Amino acid sequence: MSTVIVGLFDGVETAARAGRALKGLSLPAGSVTTLSAVPLPDGAVVTDPTPIRFPRIVIAGWFVGAAAGLGLTLATYMLYPLVTGGKTIVSVPPTLIITYEVAMLGALLGTLFGSGREMGLLRFPPKVIHDPRIHDGKIALCARVEGDEQARRTIEAMREAGGTEVRAEEGEL
Amino acid sequence: MSAEAPRADDHHLAKTDETAMFERLSRSNLVTTWKWYLGVGVAGAVLLWGLIVFLYMAMVGMGVTGYNKPVFWGLYEASLVFWIGLSHSGTLISAILRLTHATWRAPVLRGAEAMTAFTLMVGGLIPIVHLGRNWRVYYALPYPSSRELWPNMRSPLMWDAMAITTYLIGSLTFLYVGMIPDLALLRDKSAGGRRKFYSALSLGFRGTHAQWRRYHVASTLFAILIIPIAVSVHSIVSWDFAMAKVPGWHSTIFAPYFVVGAIFSGIAGVVIVMAILRKAFRLESVLTPLHFDNLGKLLCTMTLLWGYFYFTEFLTVWYNRNPEEWEVFSSYAGPYLPLFLTMIVCNFVIPFPMLCLKRVRRSISLILVPAISIVIGMYAERLLIVIPSLARRNDPFIWANYFPTWVEFSVMAGAAAMFVLLYMLFAKFFPIMAISDIKERLFHTADRTIGGTTVESIAQVEGEEEAHA
Repeated sequence: MSTVIVGLFDGVETAARAGRALKGLSLPAGSVTTLSAVPLPDGAVVTDPTPIRFPRIVIAGWFVGAAAGLGLTLATYMLYPLVTGGKTIVSVPPTLIITYEVAMLGALLGTLFGSGREMGLLRFPPKVIHDPRIHDGKIALCARVEGDEQARRTIEAMREAGGTEVRAEEGEL
Repeated sequence: MSAEAPRADDHHLAKTDETAMFERLSRSNLVTTWKWYLGVGVAGAVLLWGLIVFLYMAMVGMGVTGYNKPVFWGLYEASLVFWIGLSHSGTLISAILRLTHATWRAPVLRGAEAMTAFTLMVGGLIPIVHLGRNWRVYYALPYPSSRELWPNMRSPLMWDAMAITTYLIGSLTFLYVGMIPDLALLRDKSAGGRRKFYSALSLGFRGTHAQWRRYHVASTLFAILIIPIAVSVHSIVSWDFAMAKVPGWHSTIFAPYFVVGAIFSGIAGVVIVMAILRKAFRLESVLTPLHFDNLGKLLCTMTLLWGYFYFTEFLTVWYNRNPEEWEVFSSYAGPYLPLFLTMIVCNFVIPFPMLCLKRVRRSISLILVPAISIVIGMYAERLLIVIPSLARRNDPFIWANYFPTWVEFSVMAGAAAMFVLLYMLFAKFFPIMAISDIKERLFHTADRTIGGTTVESIAQVEGEEEAHA
């Protein structure tokens, strides 16, 4: 758990002003974020320094799925070698179809689990920073701080920028 | 011409009372009327009746249906194709609208995606209904059993099982992931048991900047993946037929023809569902005539496309005069004339001229006429695809007509009731409107003065995911 300064703002402009002010405080990258009911463009208030990596999991999921589909089809042919309609035991077109479907399933599941993991879903720490008033049009700007001096300067910066309510909380950002 | 650029806080969301908007959009979750209970009661009763009849059929055997030599695929298979077809447009429309950043998409997304999920659930059950010895359905699962029986992967029915399973999982995932921000909203707006329920389902989503960015990339990826899956599913459903050397089925055009037919009936289904949602949950200010106008234009295009495909399919048989195939087509003028006329009139004669008129497309009650007509016409088309080809199969000595018995009608009525019931329960417990998407659209929209008029200006935030990925 760490100390997080949470400032509530009425609009994007004031939140952006506070975001710019926080940049001057040299807080570590990734320690400032927003909580909002709508997605804000990157850079509008804060910038996300972490690259989005989960599309790699999607690609990996596709290949794992393709291998699973191919393996399932080939294994089935071998384990139950039934001649159907004069076709060869190992027939290419059905193999392609099953491989394709399972590969796409693998990519879908890769997207689900990869994005969920990167979004930090299904993680329930004892206390997370949240403010339900974001659903009433507010934007919460949150900054993780270390030490009283940094906390004081962050609170000041948020208040000066127009934060309607600025508070310090203990919790996970 | 003078143009006044909007300021960042001039967006429409800032001018909206978000609490009032939440109450308006979540009316289905917040208010329970007697009509909802009545609807659930009626749908539940019909579903129960369908289940009882299904159990009766399972115990007595398929002999209680109208199936007999040579027609062993009938109402059940036509319904399977119909339900899978209906499922097509929900997710497909949603995915295409998301990918193209169509600005009018938000109110349509959730209802359409839910339609896909539930029609697929119903459609996916029908092969099990038709199976005969239904309790042996697990024989189709690919696992090393002591019977040493493995599914035959060269059978199109196995391709179908794989494709429908993939599409169902994909559609449910697409629906669920799209709903997570709205479930978080419901979590924050509710208390007690409901709060716990939505807390569990929202998986800890809080709306941090990093979460939103990843959510957007995930939505885009889902949309990209789901489109080829949707196309493959109905192609494979068509190959259930086209792989067989049955006159009228063995055709290379079947896959694209089925896909077009599925999108056609699916859009009609979306229009009907949207009109019902609009009326039932008083969503007039959200689901506007513009949405129906746009869906109507799509439907009009699909009417023409369906007509083109049907004519192409007919023309080759007509010119070729292959006796086996020609007998099938000739039966359309015989015992299947009512079905054929229903199909042509309902799929083309009624909807095409009506949908050309803006007045019809922008009137909710009027656009329902072509939409309902198309759903009826497409059901007739499914029956025409399945039944005459078997009833007029190669050997004239075995020709026989098929008519479903009360058993098939009851089970299929139960299937329809299951769809209605699932949809009503979903609308009650889950956000039926994509509230976050609607808010996002308002957030990106601002008024801009151009010359003597004020127009809506919508900011498109594109490419930032790629730039940071």
